[in-house]
Amino acid sequence: MTRAIDPVTLEVIRSALTAAAEEMSLVVMRSARSPLLREAGDLSSALTDAGGEMIAQGRDIPMHLGVMCFTVKEFLKRVPAASLAPGDVWFLNLPEIGGNHLPDVKAIRPIFAGGHLFAFAVSLAHWADIGGAVPGSYYASATDIWQEGLRISPTRLFSADGPDREKLTLVLSNVRGAPEREGDIHAQMASTLAAERRLHDLAEEHGIETLRAAMAVLQDTSESQMRAAIRALPQGVFQGEDFLDDDGITDRPIAIRVRIDIGDGEASFDFSASDDAAEGPVNTTPFIAVASVLYTMKCLAPSEIQPNGGALRPIKVSTRPGSILQPPPTRPVVGGNHETSQRVVDAIFRALEPALGDRLTAGGPTTSGLLLFGMPRADGAWVTLYETHGGGEGARVDRDGSPVVRVHMSNVMNTPAEVIEAEYPIEIGRQALRRGSGGAGAHRGGDGLVREYRMLTDGVSLTSMFERRVVPPYGFRGGSPGAPFRVTLVKDGAGTGIEVKGKTNLRLGKGDRVTVESCGGGGFGMPGNSSEGTIEK
Amino acid sequence: MSAPSWRVGVDIGGTFTDVVGIDASTGVSRTAKVRTRLEDPLASLRAAFAALDLGWDDVGVLVHGTTVVTNAIVEEKLPPVALVATAGFADVLSIGRQNRRSLYSLSLAPRLPPLAPERLRFELRERMGPDGRVKTSIDSADLDRVVEAISKSGVSSVAVSLLHSYANPGHEALAGERLAAVVPHVSLSHRVNPEEREFERTSATVLNAAAMPLVGAHLDELAHEVPPTAHFHLFHSAGGMATPAMVRERPLLLALSGPAAGVSAARQVASDLQLDNALTLDMGGTTTDVCLIRNGKPETRREASLADRPIRQPMVAVHSIGAGGGSIAYIEAGMLKVGPQSAGASPGPACYGSGGTAATVTDANLLLGYLDASHALADGVRMDRGRAQAAIGDLARELDLRLMDAALGIVRVANANMVRAIRNVTVDRGIDGRRCTLVAFGGAGPLHAATLARDFGIGRVVVPAFSSAYSALGCAMAQLSYTQQRTVRMASRDWSPERLARARAELLAGMAFDRAAQADGVEVADVALVRYVGQSYSVEVPYRHPAQVEALTRDFRELHRQLYGFFTEEDWELEAIRVTASAVAPPIGAHPPPMARSARPSARSTAECWFSAAGPTPTPRYHREQMAAGARITGPAIVEDEWSTITLPPGARLEATVHGHLSMTFGSAP
Repeated sequence: MTRAIDPVTLEVIRSALTAAAEEMSLVVMRSARSPLLREAGDLSSALTDAGGEMIAQGRDIPMHLGVMCFTVKEFLKRVPAASLAPGDVWFLNLPEIGGNHLPDVKAIRPIFAGGHLFAFAVSLAHWADIGGAVPGSYYASATDIWQEGLRISPTRLFSADGPDREKLTLVLSNVRGAPEREGDIHAQMASTLAAERRLHDLAEEHGIETLRAAMAVLQDTSESQMRAAIRALPQGVFQGEDFLDDDGITDRPIAIRVRIDIGDGEASFDFSASDDAAEGPVNTTPFIAVASVLYTMKCLAPSEIQPNGGALRPIKVSTRPGSILQPPPTRPVVGGNHETSQRVVDAIFRALEPALGDRLTAGGPTTSGLLLFGMPRADGAWVTLYETHGGGEGARVDRDGSPVVRVHMSNVMNTPAEVIEAEYPIEIGRQALRRGSGGAGAHRGGDGLVREYRMLTDGVSLTSMFERRVVPPYGFRGGSPGAPFRVTLVKDGAGTGIEVKGKTNLRLGKGDRVTVESCGGGGFGMPGNSSEGTIEK
Repeated sequence: MSAPSWRVGVDIGGTFTDVVGIDASTGVSRTAKVRTRLEDPLASLRAAFAALDLGWDDVGVLVHGTTVVTNAIVEEKLPPVALVATAGFADVLSIGRQNRRSLYSLSLAPRLPPLAPERLRFELRERMGPDGRVKTSIDSADLDRVVEAISKSGVSSVAVSLLHSYANPGHEALAGERLAAVVPHVSLSHRVNPEEREFERTSATVLNAAAMPLVGAHLDELAHEVPPTAHFHLFHSAGGMATPAMVRERPLLLALSGPAAGVSAARQVASDLQLDNALTLDMGGTTTDVCLIRNGKPETRREASLADRPIRQPMVAVHSIGAGGGSIAYIEAGMLKVGPQSAGASPGPACYGSGGTAATVTDANLLLGYLDASHALADGVRMDRGRAQAAIGDLARELDLRLMDAALGIVRVANANMVRAIRNVTVDRGIDGRRCTLVAFGGAGPLHAATLARDFGIGRVVVPAFSSAYSALGCAMAQLSYTQQRTVRMASRDWSPERLARARAELLAGMAFDRAAQADGVEVADVALVRYVGQSYSVEVPYRHPAQVEALTRDFRELHRQLYGFFTEEDWELEAIRVTASAVAPPIGAHPPPMARSARPSARSTAECWFSAAGPTPTPRYHREQMAAGARITGPAIVEDEWSTITLPPGARLEATVHGHLSMTFGSAP
């Protein structure tokens, strides 16, 4: 191939495209309403070419990276490019259209230059509510997807003439907290508008042909980087499996199985042997499986691979229709996004342990540890606290695991005790290290967390969506597993507690205490083999 | 005898110590630069004084900017400290915000080990509510137990961070009083950072406690050196000077002292030239610092991170990126990249001939003819064009580019990195950066400013007087000024002017103004941090005390519209207040030494400079001394002084202002 663009212009355009995507994220971060964005930054932005291939990503969230590679491509299969016009902003959340779960709503804006479509801007944000059976839209007992909330098929909420009030009202009528959701919609719309301005500036500065050529070269570059990264791995076939605790409906563990075939510059990840689709909300989509594969490959790659569609070309991911990673579209999925995606990473890590264990970590808190408290505040407003809980990191060949941290597919922060106490009728009794919860080994797994929530009001609804309660984080190379996740409810006045299951909906009253003990990390190597390099907690 | 009239600003940086002296009675100024002796800051100070030809008798005010705290944090040279926390919360630093610093690196530990190790964590039985109501009082026997245990531990610094102390500091103050009797250094969280979020507040307080012994010793030495006639102050990160007593208690104020001083000096240019919005560009050897000056005032940020340690306190909003003269150019995946790795001062750019072989931005600037190889550097080092050519030649071959295309490419990519930084500080504040004036200083800022402005679409660049000792100028011109922020939660429909006034008065009471400053008066600027319920970020709404809810509503909505393009009629909530209190003092003017007047200066030599790939352009070189007020030249041209070089591309115009600033404009407008 002859070089269509010089290496300096290419770098200048790459930098500008990334800056444009970053700017999109900034716009959403600052003006959207979801508490998830506030403490957690649960959003992503991306630019794609006219065919929907991703060319730049703003805020890098591993979970969204894989998903956003498919959103526009799948969208274009349903909405022909010819029907798009400048000024359009389309909203959608269907998992089967390059998605994950219903709360993650995407806004897509086609961008034109000289009358031709040449790019898309995509803004993904986790809405605090998308309707469905319970406030916050996490229904642990869901048995179909309609119980999980409003399904938005591709819908043009904005055109060059402005917002389409009818459609907007239809969406807002089906979610809780309509004024806040309207704010979210505006924020996502504004973020794609910022991207459009930047891309127009770039097209003007460099010419549309150069810009198109740069988009193509950037993808080719990521492809060759990924091929080089794969070539640096040992060739062969590796198999691994790990298990979800349960699906919230039955108590049966569910297997994720992978067969990895690393060849010369290409790799395939076959998840066909995974269990069938679950009855409860731990199903997920093939896009999430791809996201987990990409995450692992980025960890193993020697240098940073520019996140775009080209990086996927040397990788084949297969899932079996009807399985937990490719369920019928009627099945519930809300927890699969952050629970099952992590189990996919675990299955891959376990498959690679014999060959590459020294470059990975032992099992860690591969769960969001999610507790969702919905409650009335003194002023009558209904508030929802969406709280994830990190645990002890798995140990590595050269160091102990870190205490209390989020690993792999998510990096969402906690809500400080002072913020919880100020904004919710909850008191935090204590938050401390769960000492001794890390698995033994030549290097110890990190310790988990203890956090105690005391209800200061009646009528609280609690939803749990966590894992590693039954199947604990595994050790590597002879290290011991970490202590499993445990959540205990002590009713007001009661002496002893009852264990809260991993996917459940409960009612709590004033004085009730919920104590979270998050899992410890797995150890690495046989205990006693080495004690150097322990880190101070 | 009249009082000594000189104000002297000294900025002790990593490589050089800059000094600017202003005779306040005449406005006459002097400047110098000496090599920093890192092992002996006082020696650097003395050498700087000697270079100005001033004695202690001449000096009325000395303001000192220093990297002593910055370096201690970056080099991890801080001692362990004890932490006193609310019972059940002593592990706050181990838990952090549960996030990791790198997404894809499994080898990197997710967080740094806390400065308060487990054996030095102590829990006090007490509980405060978020509204400041006491839920559990301190039990004196329990406090005795903690004080005794800390006394026995032998630690020299202790941090006290109790839950919700921003709402009611009573318990912290009580514990602090007792601890002060047994430990030399005590840092209380409500004094350091009275804001909600226990991890960030505790982190700042512990870091502050850890820096106290070091800064205390430094101040002791200075007090010994500086006679009482010279009023001595330090320049702090929020852009003003602080008394030694204040810095002793809150050394973390110095964390970003140097960059803040440069930005602060730029306020003067903004005022001289009546610029509303300006962007500062301070490019040194390793980093470039960018900051937005809006309506004549530098923007403020609430938190920063230094070497992965979070620092939360109001600071000048300097955005720093790894792009400087020493930034290394390399090839990755077929693209030309520049930085953030830097050849630094050692081994330095290839052309220095002191061991560096990697191609750097400075090598490109030399090859392109902007830098003068015949001009000796500060250490007598002469730049070697041959070495620059060899280093960039290697890159060019690998990229299949001509030598000069590669050199131009390095400058273009470095500029693109800086454009991203500029976009960051402007977009974040809802400002179009292209409408701002770029104020360029530091060693390499003036070299890149014009091409950078062109690449980004900025119409005007100013290289201010004293541009190569700009942080020192900022120090010399500084006034006593403090900024502090405090969490005050209040809904618009539940407004209490009394509660707000009380919180504000308490904030002001914590600021140290000496008697002289108080006599002249103290001016207070107020900002309310306001958001819609559920929003992540607050809008900074300036207001006049006492705050009226109607005016705040109106101004918040208007600012929200400006920033995000829309507003709603909903209720809003106050999250925090910020006050900046400054001593009222006559403005200090600094005039550069007088120069020969000549409207059309004549070039001292001509260089072959590359401004485009088409070929070299004969380019006249001028000395900055020739640029007296009113002087005008049109590019291509190079204007240099002992410490820095200004590049004026073909067609660009330069004019010297009455204040000694050099103003460059582009495009067709005169």
